[in-house]
Amino acid sequence: MGSSLKSFIKDVRGAKTLSEERSIIQKQSAKVRTKLRDDHLSLEKRRKNIQKLMYLFILGEKTHFGQVECINLIASDEFVNKRLGYLAAVLLLDESQDLLTLLTNLMSNDLNHSNKYIVSLALTTLGFLSSPELVRDLYPDVNNILKTSKNVFLVKKALQCTAKMISKDITLFDVFSLDTIKDILNNNSLVCHGTLLGVGKVIQAYVKGFPAYLEMLKSDNTNIEAMEQILVADISEIIPEIILQLKNLNMKNTKPEYDVKGVCDPFLQAELIQTLKVIFQLENTAINDQFLNKFEDLLTFIATNTDPSKSSGQSILYETAKTIFSLNLEQSLRVLGINILANFLNGKNNNIKYVALNTLLQVIPQDPSAVQRHRKYILKCLFDPDVSIKSRALELTFAILDESNIVESITELVNFLEYSSEDNTDLNIYIVEHLVNAFDTIKVSDEKWKLDIFLKILELTGSYMTQERINDILITLNNVTNFDNKNHFVVKLLNISLKKYEEANKSVDLFSDNFAWKLVTVWCIGEYADLVLSKSKSSIISETNLTKYLVDLDTYCTAADTKILDYLLTATLKLSSKITNGKAIEDLRQIILTHTKDANLLIQMKSVQYELIFSQPVAIKKPILEIMPKFEKKQKPIFESIHRASSVIKKTEKPRSNNDLLLDLLGDDTIGDNSNARKPTNSDNSPQGNADKDLLADIFGSSNNRSESVSQTHIESVSKDHNTNSVQLPSDAAEIYDDDNITIYGQVNSIETRLAQIELYFKSKGNITELLSLCAVTKTQKLVMGTLIPSSDINTGNISKQSLKITGSGKLKLRVKLEFKIDGVDHSELFDHKFDHSI
Amino acid sequence: MANIKYMLLISRQGKLRLQKWYTAIAAKEKTKIVKALTSIILARKKKMCNIVEYGDHKVVYRRYASLYFICGISQNSDNELLTLEIVHRYVETMDTYFGNVCELDIIFNFEKAYNILDEMIMCDGSITETSKSNVLNNIKTMDILENNDNLDRVLS
Repeated sequence: MGSSLKSFIKDVRGAKTLSEERSIIQKQSAKVRTKLRDDHLSLEKRRKNIQKLMYLFILGEKTHFGQVECINLIASDEFVNKRLGYLAAVLLLDESQDLLTLLTNLMSNDLNHSNKYIVSLALTTLGFLSSPELVRDLYPDVNNILKTSKNVFLVKKALQCTAKMISKDITLFDVFSLDTIKDILNNNSLVCHGTLLGVGKVIQAYVKGFPAYLEMLKSDNTNIEAMEQILVADISEIIPEIILQLKNLNMKNTKPEYDVKGVCDPFLQAELIQTLKVIFQLENTAINDQFLNKFEDLLTFIATNTDPSKSSGQSILYETAKTIFSLNLEQSLRVLGINILANFLNGKNNNIKYVALNTLLQVIPQDPSAVQRHRKYILKCLFDPDVSIKSRALELTFAILDESNIVESITELVNFLEYSSEDNTDLNIYIVEHLVNAFDTIKVSDEKWKLDIFLKILELTGSYMTQERINDILITLNNVTNFDNKNHFVVKLLNISLKKYEEANKSVDLFSDNFAWKLVTVWCIGEYADLVLSKSKSSIISETNLTKYLVDLDTYCTAADTKILDYLLTATLKLSSKITNGKAIEDLRQIILTHTKDANLLIQMKSVQYELIFSQPVAIKKPILEIMPKFEKKQKPIFESIHRASSVIKKTEKPRSNNDLLLDLLGDDTIGDNSNARKPTNSDNSPQGNADKDLLADIFGSSNNRSESVSQTHIESVSKDHNTNSVQLPSDAAEIYDDDNITIYGQVNSIETRLAQIELYFKSKGNITELLSLCAVTKTQKLVMGTLIPSSDINTGNISKQSLKITGSGKLKLRVKLEFKIDGVDHSELFDHKFDHSI
Repeated sequence: MANIKYMLLISRQGKLRLQKWYTAIAAKEKTKIVKALTSIILARKKKMCNIVEYGDHKVVYRRYASLYFICGISQNSDNELLTLEIVHRYVETMDTYFGNVCELDIIFNFEKAYNILDEMIMCDGSITETSKSNVLNNIKTMDILENNDNLDRVLS
């Protein structure tokens, strides 16, 4: 192993294996560490070791042991040491380290050094490592350079430093004045691209920090208005100069050293645009009245005068568009900005497409119709090979979706689904989620077309469609009032299902993994068999075929397909009342019979009950098995980002144990995402659930609520018979929580060994709706919560109660989280309560 | 505008060749970012755009021969296109300095690569000098000063 930096690098590169590389690095690291500890090491050797240390830093190794050594190098008089020392300090130290105070004196000396390169090194380092102490102590030195130096090289760096310093420490506003900037702008020998970049930075930092500075002065009773006027006067003097510089830059490109593909210094142009933007963001009327027009003219000039075919020109045009939108300038400029972006969409370069889509997405609230106009280009981006562009285009397409373009856009989206590959599942899910939702909010005149779209997406994406969307589709179908349309859908669906089934010749392929398709087919058979049987001219939809489909599907169903079985049983029962073929009816009966001994309790229970109904005379059966009533559908938020949408989908719903609940309550950020699963009306969302409830309530009059995946801790929506009850507050209930909206009382009913019964009384002070109370107990205990009685909606002054059963041991402690709405506004409360009892 | 949060140079094999942080970030977080971005960016196909969203900010990158130049910028305020131009300016400047720069030049002369970068970008990642010749002249003068020191030492 050699001793120079070069051989060290070579050794690392030459390592055959990862472990060999590690051992080389570790050996060197140890060696450098010992060397640097040696006080008698010559500066030359020291330098060598610091270089190695920097290489270790690049490799991602620990370098803290060398930090002081960098400072020692800086202390040397030789340029070569200082240069390396400062470079290493910037890399190995950061602003948060106390060590920096050691630098104060060294840097102060260097800032006043006669060699401009040493001054420059110190300035660069100060710009990187601006700790509060360094800023405070070294500001005078930097300001001195600004005021006295005639050297462009130093002034430009001092300006950058100053900008950083005043943005770090607003007390510097006391001593810094924009006069320095004006002097520099007025001194022709100092004005060049480098200094203008720095001037821009200082003005931005000054203007951005000014409001905070005024805030600070307020407490000292200083005359704020006078201060503001000084700012306005200073800025008003500076603006014309900047506008002039910017215009000159944009007009002529005479300096080859600043040319970037035919555009003169796009960096400086963008910096000056940004500077003016920050000034106008102050929204000071005096400044805006005087200059905003001129700025608007200038932006128009830049937008028309910059070459859109070069990447350097594009970056300026993009900056211009962004500025127009962020200042919310007038309509004509907005259109100009949107057109710039639309041109980007039309280009070949993916980067400009991406930024354009991204920016348009932000502009939609300001000017939807202007974005609308470029829909064609946006739709075209759907088919871009780059997935990030695809997803942006998708978001944008949904964001501009409305009545006027829904047919065209959705046709295009379905087209997209058709050609979309497997790796785009996330995007496909996003489309389905939003597409189904879009139909809820946007009226479509052609219902038949809408149903055709549903059919198409079931076919294309049914294998991974979420249950909620399937329910949405079923609800929509159920609520279709036009018989022809409904018939059209069902016939088409069943035709495809039965045809496939025949072609597949009972092979397993038939019941492929298109879950949603199967479910919808089964449901339609149950609900609409009579409708299509009477009207259909096609021979394939016959009593026997429908029956056979159900029978075979039943045989292929595994124990895991509970959901399908669940739907299938109901469909079987319903179909039996709609057909006349005796053999078919008997087959259907057999389906139900085989499941009366099913291992799954749920299915078993259902089958037993259905079998009872099955044997009833038609007169009794018919009314029970009527088609469903119209369903109400819950509104969901439509627009969310792709990332969010897919993450919600991926979350599998699982029964929540009390432990989970506790976790949720403690870190309640996940609650929002999952709350759907716990909404009181959850089970009502599924048509099937409704069917069962109706059915069972009618026949048996029992309140046999079977919540499936949902755990008992939910507060179920109130059943009707409870509605008349009113709850009285017992006299011995103690107040455990009280705020502006609600008072909660607690009463411990009984304490036994390892078991406590507690009642909570919620007394409302406003009209509370959709109250959801979630409680958690300590880890040694378990909690079972009852429903809210009489209702989760509580009028002013009324009381609802909820019983809690706690098992386990330890002190009785509750953490309660409440979510509710008052006049439609969401509220949530979280509190802890300790009872005096323990179990 | 473009305020660069950090600049990373990563080889096609996923080796870090240069790292420069313009904001104070904890060492652990730095390692995490480098690791994540290496795998994200190396996996991207050639035709994809050069902008990636990562965590709370955006990352723009461009590949030059065997090296990826990666810059972190803020989500909304920064100009992605301009950042790419800055990276390009840096590469051009190094190209002139080294004479047809390649990965090896940067590996063995990382100090110079840092020197050039520091002349171009200062403070919290804002561009300070846009003229290639200004940057190179200053770097060369400093190189001479450095050599004079060495010469003095040899002579004495």
